[in-house]
Amino acid sequence: MTTGMDRLAAAVTGGSSDRIPVFCNLLDQGARELGMPLREYYASGEHVAEAQLRMREKYGYDNVWSLFYVGKEAELLGPARIAFATDGPPNVEAFPLTTVEDIPCLVVPTDLRSHPAFEEPLRCLQILRREVGGRYPICAYITASMTLPAILLGMESWMELLLNGPTPLRDELLTKCSDFFRVEIAAYRDAGADILLYSNPFGSTDFLPMKLIEELSLPWMVRDLEPGGVAGVVYYCGSSRLNAVIPKVLARTGIAAYYLSPLDDLVEARRLVGDKVVLAGVINDIPLIGWPPECVREEVRRIVAAGMLGGRFLFGTLVMPLAIPEHNIRALLEAAFEFGRRDGGGGR
Amino acid sequence: MLEEILTSYYAAIVDTDRSRALAVVHDAVAHGASPEEIVFHVVVPAIERTMQTISEAGDVNLAQHFMGSQIGAQVVEEMIPLFSTKPEMAGRIVLGTAAGDFHGLGKRIVAGCLKARMIDVLDLGLNVPAERFVDEAVAAGAQVIGISSMMVHTATSEHGARKVRHILRERKLEARLRIIVGGAAYRWDHDLYKTVEADAWAENGILAGEVVGALIREVLP
Repeated sequence: MTTGMDRLAAAVTGGSSDRIPVFCNLLDQGARELGMPLREYYASGEHVAEAQLRMREKYGYDNVWSLFYVGKEAELLGPARIAFATDGPPNVEAFPLTTVEDIPCLVVPTDLRSHPAFEEPLRCLQILRREVGGRYPICAYITASMTLPAILLGMESWMELLLNGPTPLRDELLTKCSDFFRVEIAAYRDAGADILLYSNPFGSTDFLPMKLIEELSLPWMVRDLEPGGVAGVVYYCGSSRLNAVIPKVLARTGIAAYYLSPLDDLVEARRLVGDKVVLAGVINDIPLIGWPPECVREEVRRIVAAGMLGGRFLFGTLVMPLAIPEHNIRALLEAAFEFGRRDGGGGR
Repeated sequence: MLEEILTSYYAAIVDTDRSRALAVVHDAVAHGASPEEIVFHVVVPAIERTMQTISEAGDVNLAQHFMGSQIGAQVVEEMIPLFSTKPEMAGRIVLGTAAGDFHGLGKRIVAGCLKARMIDVLDLGLNVPAERFVDEAVAAGAQVIGISSMMVHTATSEHGARKVRHILRERKLEARLRIIVGGAAYRWDHDLYKTVEADAWAENGILAGEVVGALIREVLP
């Protein structure tokens, strides 16, 4: 039987398999799957792992996630207060750094394996590795040094510090965030994560002018990735566009996989990078809350048709809000499986 | 002369260079430009030029938005007390993030853009309950309630814009108060504002100035 790892390997090498890889990020849906509130669900790595395994089995997509919620990284770096909702992802209510004056006091852990806030993600990874390791890619979400300050200080304060300085304090924070990134990516690799989604909205021209990306984002990306290399690393800018930066990121870092924004033109992306890198075509999944299934199917067909023209392609989702009804999750995935077939799928 | 000042000011905004933008303004005032000229012939046209760039090239980034709005607001706040006659403000808005939403950057950008257009802004902060939106709007004599949501569930929640609409209806305030929504959730689904029963939405701070201005004109006698 063809596994998700087989499909991914075929996409990476340009080899053959039954269909393109289909990556789906159902996260909060895990709580519903286990019939428990989100707060209780996210308190346990066993819960997250069990739900990830169940949902992958139920829907048949090709990956599992070790990600709990994005604010989890803030908890690894200080006393963050997380607000849990009943109908959507947790978010950071109180940041680990209250003001920029706290930056000198920020302590970067040197080993996450013994960190209390990493215990449950580690437990989740161990279960995923035991159950599906080598058969289905295990994904981890790691925030780049240029973006991590947004969940340590808040977006407003980070934007102020980034653009207005003081520069020494900005660089001290970036150095600490980059040091943390290196520790974190090593911990995820050691624990068995195969795909390391390198999240960096501050490396998109939707966030910063190209001049700042060249002067700041790219050098910090090089520093983040230098010790461990780029194996398994996928460049991702949240929902922000990548096309304008892909050639520069590729040249400076060697990252060979890019998880596009729904706003990026897939054909243009392929033209920019040639046939050597993997591109993920990503659907804007927020309208799936209200679309009829035939619209979902048509949008998937459009993306897959554009992506399969260039090879080395996978289909992916963006945020998959909890409010998307079950029938649209199924419509999305069934369309991706069907149109992504190598034997005459291709969105035709 | 004003055209040159505008060109230099706009270039500083594009480069996200606050000190250069402020230096352009202060230098212009020192050389005889009036505070009124700075606001109406430099700050407001710079916003309009940004809007034109967005519509033609789709090419203004978050940093430029942020800096442009903050600098514009700062300049307007600095210039207004220096006006030869007290200016008439265009109207008033109360602004905050929806209940359960702690993402304030978008709201701050919008506030800056609105202030730069001579609209009074009462910033209610983050995680604002629906009742407070309405109470503060009534107390402040505002014409518009602005609700920002970065996350889909805080946009569609029963505790956010929908509840504000419910309270306005219940208290028979709909004729004198409009609801505008904005934030990432709405940028990914342009019909979402209808689902949450808002009167309008705006994709960014620059456009919010236009839309809020129109809503104010609907309500003001």
